[in-house]
Amino acid sequence: MSDVAKPKNPEDDWKIWLVVNPATWLMPIFFALLVLAIAVHWVVFAVGLGWQ
Amino acid sequence: MADQSLSGLTEQQAKEFHEQFKVTYTAFVGLAALAHLFVIAANPWW
Repeated sequence: MSDVAKPKNPEDDWKIWLVVNPATWLMPIFFALLVLAIAVHWVVFAVGLGWQ
Repeated sequence: MADQSLSGLTEQQAKEFHEQFKVTYTAFVGLAALAHLFVIAANPWW
């Protein structure tokens, strides 16, 4: 098992697209990012850090 | 069928897509940083 090449990042970052097909997953990734951004803003406003 | 990647993209396609992905992601981080600077200027949260 030790002869398996160790990944080197960020040089090997592009290889993610050999596993995840962006034609299928780019928009779901963007929607997940949108949900995360909404959640973070929700919490920030909920704890009273919003504009007042 | 053996040497195809799991995603079906070739190495060239993956590298090409990743170049664009890095540009767009850098722009996103830049804009987010700018927005945070505006918030810090207007209403620091510490």
